[in-house]
Amino acid sequence: MKKVLAILVILISANSFAQSKYQQGMTKAFELWQSEKPWDAANLFERIAQVETENWLPPFYVAQINVFNSFSEKDKEKMVAQMKKARDFLNDASALTENNPEILVLEAQLLTAWVVYDGQQYGMKYSQKIADLYRQAFELAPDNPRVVLGKAQWDIGTAKWFKQPTDVYCDDIKRAIELFETEEPAGEFYPRGGGEYAHTVLKENCES
Amino acid sequence: MNLSRDQLTTFLILAISALFFQNITYAQTTISGQVTEKNGSPLEGVNVYLEGTYDGITSDAQGRFEFSTSETGVQTLIASYLSYESFMMAADVSQMNDLVIRLREDVNSLDTVVISAGTLEASDNSKVSVLKPLDVVTTASALGDFVGALQTLPGTTTVAEDGRLFVRGGDAAETQIFIDGIRVFTPYTPTTNNAPTRGRYSPFLFDGITFSTGGYSAEYGQALSSVLLLNTIDEPDQDKTDIAIMTVGGGVGNTRKWEKSSLSFNANYINLAPYLAVFPDRNDWEKPFETFAGESVFRRKFDNSILKVYAAFDNSNFELTQEDNNLPDGLYFKLKNSNFYTNASYSGELDKNWQYHAGASYTHARNDVCIQGDEIENMENSAHLKMKLRKRFSNRVKLSFGAEQFLTDFTETYNNSFVSERYGFNNGISAAFTELDLVFSRKFAMKLGARGEHSQLFDQFTLSPRASVAYKTGKNSQLSLAYGDFYQQPMNDILKFSSDLKAQKTQHYILNYQYVADNRILRAEAYRKEYSNLVTFQGEFPGFDGDYMNNGDGYAQGFDLFWRDNKSVRNVDYWLSYSYLDTERLYRNYPTAATPSFANTHNLNTVVKWWIEDWKSQIGFSHTYSSGRTYTNPNMPGFLQEKTKAYNSLSVNWAYLISQQKILYLSVNNVLGFKNINGYQYASTPDMNGNFNRRALRPAADQFFFVGFFWTISEDGTDNQLDNL
Repeated sequence: MKKVLAILVILISANSFAQSKYQQGMTKAFELWQSEKPWDAANLFERIAQVETENWLPPFYVAQINVFNSFSEKDKEKMVAQMKKARDFLNDASALTENNPEILVLEAQLLTAWVVYDGQQYGMKYSQKIADLYRQAFELAPDNPRVVLGKAQWDIGTAKWFKQPTDVYCDDIKRAIELFETEEPAGEFYPRGGGEYAHTVLKENCES
Repeated sequence: MNLSRDQLTTFLILAISALFFQNITYAQTTISGQVTEKNGSPLEGVNVYLEGTYDGITSDAQGRFEFSTSETGVQTLIASYLSYESFMMAADVSQMNDLVIRLREDVNSLDTVVISAGTLEASDNSKVSVLKPLDVVTTASALGDFVGALQTLPGTTTVAEDGRLFVRGGDAAETQIFIDGIRVFTPYTPTTNNAPTRGRYSPFLFDGITFSTGGYSAEYGQALSSVLLLNTIDEPDQDKTDIAIMTVGGGVGNTRKWEKSSLSFNANYINLAPYLAVFPDRNDWEKPFETFAGESVFRRKFDNSILKVYAAFDNSNFELTQEDNNLPDGLYFKLKNSNFYTNASYSGELDKNWQYHAGASYTHARNDVCIQGDEIENMENSAHLKMKLRKRFSNRVKLSFGAEQFLTDFTETYNNSFVSERYGFNNGISAAFTELDLVFSRKFAMKLGARGEHSQLFDQFTLSPRASVAYKTGKNSQLSLAYGDFYQQPMNDILKFSSDLKAQKTQHYILNYQYVADNRILRAEAYRKEYSNLVTFQGEFPGFDGDYMNNGDGYAQGFDLFWRDNKSVRNVDYWLSYSYLDTERLYRNYPTAATPSFANTHNLNTVVKWWIEDWKSQIGFSHTYSSGRTYTNPNMPGFLQEKTKAYNSLSVNWAYLISQQKILYLSVNNVLGFKNINGYQYASTPDMNGNFNRRALRPAADQFFFVGFFWTISEDGTDNQLDNL
């Protein structure tokens, strides 16, 4: 009987060490994303999203991949299709969470993608809205590095456009970099990172 | 049962391991196959998975997929990919082997053909849009009036002294304006003879403008030539206050936003007295034009629906004496107008495939006019009720239908020292319409519709068929064809004297070619319009003894060209529109068929906007050339037999962004000071030599100057305005 118990203990503990399907799926998706297969990752996040219907993270990442990739998409029609898909999944995600600065930042980035798509048409239309989203996000989470970075980047763009000094915002970017270094994600698979990108932004805007 | 200890051990181990390993050892099924397009070429990147499970994979470069699942029995397999319709298949997983899945292109995607015959859009839909919402305020000649901006589009005739929309040989009353699908009965502010009118409504409240110059949907009726559809903004961006200070007056606006609802209002006061003191015009003003106007929009969102309530009122008055050939002291004219319009609409989804839109409008308009001692007072109360349902059977088949009721009650009194009369009419029109949208493929689409109307005043029923098809001829080009019958009752100025009439009719035939690529649009459209049952009468003006009949008819034909390009030259956006029109009609008091004075052969508009980054300025030019319009010279035989010289006007504007919140705006209309002539007025009696003397009808002023300062105050605005501002 001792043997039986031993085997039982082993089996049960093995089971509890094993990851849940959700964890396996999310881990795999991040691996795909890191190995530069963003669309495979997006597809996997989408599959997870249609099972985990109460969790905002999977649809959030589907939206994020579509937003990030639309910036570099050359085919205008594909770009619009991606931005529309991002909008759908962002709506799904925001219905599952409240007052979430990550959602606000991603929405601001999505609108920025529209401005990139056609500045003449969407520049005036969305610039106020984008500034407003960053402002809301900043009120909710003044120490979230992505909020700080996104807001600073947008403010720099505006200041440059109006030929005004950008020093204040460069300090904000430096602060974002510090925040990235010490950031503890709010939960498992929560958004993190962006520190490397922050260095790029600093280099492009403040060191020339 | 009596088991030994060893037997028990073995049994337990087996049982537990069976339990634990069941999803590995038990029924692992492989699902495999290939995803292709309709023509068989493989699709990479398709998400193939079993619905409600984690099991799935992304198809590879050959379109192949293979994954295993522990699910059993009947499951739903989904293959989804951007810009394609999702594929779904329910089957037993054991049968999901070597599947061949063909995905159909999603006809909702951007490169699907759009029915574009007759339609000019100003919206965010870059596919069909020729104007952008902001163009209304940045086009040099428009002066912030949406009607003015539309006059730079093809299909319109420049009738400088009027300012309303004249489309393809039709008079201004042949164009109807709708806000959120509900008709506006009195869209223009009243004006005097030689000064153009403006649209009553602020361009900032609308984010979509559709201007159809023919062949429009069965949803719209009572317009022989054209409809202009304005949609109010669903959700404003943020709380803000707008302040405008102009050389002709001022305005304030405010928008408040809550979680589910928002309220905007704006108010304007315009007084031309200071301007006229500095730049006197050809009129002798006793009281220069003065107007006070306000507008308000309330919007509330519910879970699956939205309610919008729009209200506008304005009060205008002026008093002047105009030069007149037959009156040595000039023509005295005084007007007081008050107008109230409200419109409520409620729309939403019933379930996924049903949409509804219900709305109502009410107009109350009053005019007190005094002409040379004759007092005319009229009052119009009009209402429009409408209900529309739309069913989406699939992405490819949609059906909409609805019903509406128009009601107009008009009374007028006429008083002078000799007569005192009171007259009017009470008019009701009931209508029903239906429309079927069919999309056969991304290349081929069709719209079929019909509209039935019953006039209570005439006791007449009319049926109007409408049809249009569109075919994609290349990646960026398409052809559309449209046909339609359109009926419209005579306007108030006729109906108030006679109701023993019928509806007037036009038939439209339109062929449209459109090329859209990379911020360039080329649009060419040819058309033919046939008029019948136009109202005719006797006498100089409509009156009681006019002998009204539906004996008139006519035609209009021509072509329109439009080219817009904001790609070729950096920071320059320009468009050209040209219209050729050939039209004649027998109507009103015409003795014979003739080209009316509001129609001309050639119209060419050039609009250029140049953004100068270093100056933070946009400089705009707008040039209008319009060939001569007809007039009757009583010294010669014939009717409308002569033409004025061509009309030319170059307008320039400069918008300077002081900061993101502050804009300084300057504009000059007709900067080169062309001496334009709109027509001639002849004396009613000949002089001693038997000659009828004439006087050129000139605009009240050749040029118009405008300076305005626009300031928006918003919460993040101060945030964005950098520290030194």
